[in-house]
Amino acid sequence: MSQIQIKDQIPTGELMSSGHFACPGCGGSLAMRLVLKGLGPKTMVALPACCWTIVAGPWPQSSVNIPLYHSPFETAAAVASGIRAALDMQGDQETTVLAWAGDGGTFDIGLQALSGAAERNENILYVCYDNEAYMNTGIQRSSATPWGAWTTTTPAGHPEARPKKDILAIMAAHRIPYAATASVAYPVDLIRKVEKARAIRGTRFLHVIAPCPPGWKTSDDETIELARMAVLTKIFPLMEVEDGQTWRFSMEHPGDPVEPYIKRQGRFSHLGPREIGQIQLDVDARWKMLERRVEMGI
Amino acid sequence: MPEKRPDSEMVHGVPEVAVSSTTTMANRTGSWKYTRPVFQDMVAPCNATCAIGVDIEGTMNLVREGRLVEARELLLRENPMPATTGRICDHPCESSCNRKSFDQPVAVHSVERMLGDLALEDPLPAAVVRIRTGKAAVIGSGPAGLACAYHLVRMGYEVSVFEGDEEPGGTLRYRVPEFQLPRVVLDREIERMRALGVDIRCGVRLGRQLTWKYLERFDTVFLATGAHRSRALGVEGENLPGIQYGLDFLHEVGAGRAPEIGARVVVVGGDSVALDCARTALRLGAEVQLVFWGECEKLAADPAEVLEAEREGVEILYQTVPLAIRGSEQMAEEGAREPANTISAGISGAPTGMPMGLECIRMTLEKPDGYGGDPIPAEDGRQVLSAQTVIIAMGEEPDFDLLPLDLKHDQVRVAVDELGRTSKSAVFAGGGIVEEPHTIAHALGSGKRAAIGMDLYMRERAGEKVEAPSLAGLRYGRVGNFSITRYRGDDPVRRTGEVNEVAGVERINMAHFAPMPRRVERRMKPSDREGFEEVNLGLTQKEAVAEATRCFNCGTCNQCEMCLIFCPDVAITRREGDKKFSISYKYCKGCGVCAVECPRGAISMTREGL
Amino acid sequence: MKKVMMGNHAVSWGVKLARTEVIAAYPITPQTQVVEALSEMCSSGELAARFIKVESEHSAMAACIGASATGARAFTATSSQGLALMHEVLHWAGGGRLPIVMANVNRALAPAWNVWTDQNDSLSQRDTGWIQLYCESNQEVLDTTIQAFKLAEAVDLPVMVVLDAFYLSHTSEPVDIPDQEAVDAFLPRRVARVKMDVNDPRSFGALATPAVYMEMRLRQQEAMELARVTYDEIVEEWGGMFGRRNGAIESYHAEGAEILLVTSGTITSTSRHVVNELRARGEKVGLVKVKMFRPFPTEALRVALAGVPHVAVLDRNISPGHGGIFAEEIRSALYDLAPERRPRVHGYIVGLGGRDVTPAVIEDCLARTRAAAGAGNTPEREDLWVGVKS
Repeated sequence: MSQIQIKDQIPTGELMSSGHFACPGCGGSLAMRLVLKGLGPKTMVALPACCWTIVAGPWPQSSVNIPLYHSPFETAAAVASGIRAALDMQGDQETTVLAWAGDGGTFDIGLQALSGAAERNENILYVCYDNEAYMNTGIQRSSATPWGAWTTTTPAGHPEARPKKDILAIMAAHRIPYAATASVAYPVDLIRKVEKARAIRGTRFLHVIAPCPPGWKTSDDETIELARMAVLTKIFPLMEVEDGQTWRFSMEHPGDPVEPYIKRQGRFSHLGPREIGQIQLDVDARWKMLERRVEMGI
Repeated sequence: MPEKRPDSEMVHGVPEVAVSSTTTMANRTGSWKYTRPVFQDMVAPCNATCAIGVDIEGTMNLVREGRLVEARELLLRENPMPATTGRICDHPCESSCNRKSFDQPVAVHSVERMLGDLALEDPLPAAVVRIRTGKAAVIGSGPAGLACAYHLVRMGYEVSVFEGDEEPGGTLRYRVPEFQLPRVVLDREIERMRALGVDIRCGVRLGRQLTWKYLERFDTVFLATGAHRSRALGVEGENLPGIQYGLDFLHEVGAGRAPEIGARVVVVGGDSVALDCARTALRLGAEVQLVFWGECEKLAADPAEVLEAEREGVEILYQTVPLAIRGSEQMAEEGAREPANTISAGISGAPTGMPMGLECIRMTLEKPDGYGGDPIPAEDGRQVLSAQTVIIAMGEEPDFDLLPLDLKHDQVRVAVDELGRTSKSAVFAGGGIVEEPHTIAHALGSGKRAAIGMDLYMRERAGEKVEAPSLAGLRYGRVGNFSITRYRGDDPVRRTGEVNEVAGVERINMAHFAPMPRRVERRMKPSDREGFEEVNLGLTQKEAVAEATRCFNCGTCNQCEMCLIFCPDVAITRREGDKKFSISYKYCKGCGVCAVECPRGAISMTREGL
Repeated sequence: MKKVMMGNHAVSWGVKLARTEVIAAYPITPQTQVVEALSEMCSSGELAARFIKVESEHSAMAACIGASATGARAFTATSSQGLALMHEVLHWAGGGRLPIVMANVNRALAPAWNVWTDQNDSLSQRDTGWIQLYCESNQEVLDTTIQAFKLAEAVDLPVMVVLDAFYLSHTSEPVDIPDQEAVDAFLPRRVARVKMDVNDPRSFGALATPAVYMEMRLRQQEAMELARVTYDEIVEEWGGMFGRRNGAIESYHAEGAEILLVTSGTITSTSRHVVNELRARGEKVGLVKVKMFRPFPTEALRVALAGVPHVAVLDRNISPGHGGIFAEEIRSALYDLAPERRPRVHGYIVGLGGRDVTPAVIEDCLARTRAAAGAGNTPEREDLWVGVKS
């Protein structure tokens, strides 16, 4: 079949309901929908402050049909650890405890709790849906914001000056059994990773790129295309790391030029050919490093 | 979660612990949107470029789903002879195929041929019940006449076809060589039409056995006498013996008679007739050269067939302009090489043919290393090609000698409107005598259009109050041919509302496709080609089905569910039972992700509330 | 069974007897021994609980929140900086109505670094929605720890059991350990009113608009008010079973007193000694111990203090820019009394950062109270710092 048919590989159950308050074209909402398809109804989620605080619905609503605990910003992994402990005491080994955090809650304010949980190898699945800035508060830079990007705290005159934090390597360094990246443009890969993670005991980490039309200054309808281009350009390669040691690419990455991806996003509109060239160089260099990791296992 | 759950602990309107008790379904987030996605099937470019007006995309979709019976039914709705067209149509559908921007166009004709061949094996259909009172006469049993008769019979009319030749088929029998179209295929397809109720009477030529007076007993007449008068080359020596015209030559071969040709044959021409003449002469035992004034890519024939001709041994002299034909005396004077011995022509002819020569000049481009420029005669480009037979295939035109005087026409075409109506009431025309390319597809298409015109005419004549259909609405896209399915309004394939616009390549999301090479038909090895056996062996059924899966199904939902999978708002669902897709506009925020991710452009974004 | 143990271990024993299910804790002096002992109990199997060795107090409380929300009986212990770090999450436990129990060993806050006792750490968390119970002895620590779970789960509010650094935490005293069976009868397994449950999926703590937030706070306040009554009942029940009654407040030699000391924590024990000596000399001095700080036992204190001419409140804490925190609370509790029955409240700041509050310091406070009374019954405008260098 020439068309990449995926419908048979996507579980049909829906644990997310319509009427949620995400912006149109929200990558993070789709990420939750797909992850829950992979996890099924025996799932509990610890939800720190992030866009999903809103998306999950105001009291007395909930947009997901699983137990969800709204938690302080920096506590996703810790609250999840507590939920897990309680379930352990109840003899429930079947339910997956999901920590669901944005990039701010993962890369920045929640990193300590995440590191603690990962180091203890808490039996939780931590998913970071990454929209590359503090979007819920109105687009402020986070340590997941890519080099060169505009945000309200990195204005175009002085855009983000540091590369995105390598969270996958950080998590791998904890020697957790499973860490991976995924993209909402590749639902089969994403769900496969979720299902794989679900079957593993210990801390599992999934980093999902989730484009944000208002924050990236793109059209609402470009979300999936951008999530796809991020992968195809090697800006956000799809990878898996087992036991912190075995690195693997999940697919062939053609290495499309970064320029079309950059040019489509308003948050990069101030960048000229030189800066875009620099991004390409950085992507290429990082790719070489990833290839070495895959080859050698670091 | 149930939509609303009781909470017994409510005090001051809130529970003890701030837990949820309902979903977000109460929020009508659909009110945010300013654009609205609509499932709207569009027209695939293949459909829009098919001169017959076949729902190619729909057929491909059915084949992809393994519904081969329904696929050939759909095909036969529009095209009475898919086994024939699958072999000899020049398939513009493939030139317009969006897939060519991805890897290679879908081999539509191979799939059509497979379906056509399957249909040949089906039992003959029962005759169509005559539910109409009108009677129609069709003059000429070429593709235009057959198509017209076929569609009229299927609409429930009584139709008589009058053919001047001994057997039906017109150009399909007397112009297309058998190695392209085996007669068993043609015969069986005509047999199927006869079984449906098409009455074909052969050996009845208009103006001789058939008079206009006789035709007055019919309610309406379709003229499809074709274009079989060859055009002259217009050079000195054209009246020498040993000169033949392409159509006459092919007609003789098609009639099973052996035209007399020499051992060396030069064909002059630049279209498929010229090519077929060359390959036929080759099969009759001659050495063949084909003289064509243009470059290779200008040759008006399927490039694959050009290649086959060359592989078989036809020497094609491109950019060569004939100047004159020299008789044997002149040849001797000019010291030309004595031509090879005359041979007996392949079928029955006695050795004839005078040694003669075609004087021509090779052209070159004004700026040989640059682009363009006008062709100019090359230095030392003059040559004389020796031959015993020169076949001139400079195109064809209709013979209007027998038409009624009051029928408006010029030298080469009868004037008709889009329903085939001529200037004379009750008389319709199509095929080679009207203004359109002389291809089988156009002929079949014009027969269909006229059938619709004649249906309307006869119904009106019978006193029925006929509401004229929107002719634009019958076309696939703006310029495609009419669709019988649209005319009759019982489309079995379309699943959503339609918009009659072509889904161009910009509407295809290539990310959802993987490269898959086009299946190549097997052909008989040139060394094994003997006589008039069919050269192209086609694809196996399995291969053809696989080829159909390459179809993008441009513009038409094929239920791949990408829209549903990528919707961030869970607003697209498939209904229980009929599995139809539905968009919940109560919740759809109009982001447009579904429209972008639809691999085939079957979802359109429309302005909301305007 | 009696056992000589440090206050910290009395906490551990209480946690064990309460059959706590999830413990999440982080070390900090002088609390550490609480969790060390619990670690031992968990690893030996004496206590069937999941012990999460978190990377911070913040995560300790967060983990307790997750566990408690999922129906588990959850506990943590901390002190001083650790408690301050938890501040945000304490609100979450309170607002989330989670019956978590925490032991806080009162320790002064830095800077300057100080590991010794004062109450500023716990009193800084006054408005986080936690019930606070201040203990005087190791026995009371053990008893209160068990009672705290019962109270917390009855009213869906978290409870902080507070004990003085070193004076209790590291001081060994004989402690009567109740039988497990009796404790089980007193404190059955927790049955959560509502919890994280895949068979009844709900969200907890979602965005509340101004239209509903206030009512949620009102329910929290009503639960706090209920906690006063409930605690009295629990103390009675405990007393009936074990013979020890340590209520929200306790009056000691208050009959006919002209001056009543008001104390909390271990200063109470020292004050009892001072009161005994003064009473022996015929001075009309008594004592009221305040155990429950939140909910504040306003009504009980009015009853205990009304008509007494002078009240001397000893505060081992300071709200900079204002004064002793207990004194402030007591003044406002008594304000509505009729003027003739309203005591004059004298506030004294003592023992900060672990400075000894000796009998001499307490006598000094009483002397100053008497002096102020003699000067026309007018208390000092500001609380006096006693035992400080001039």
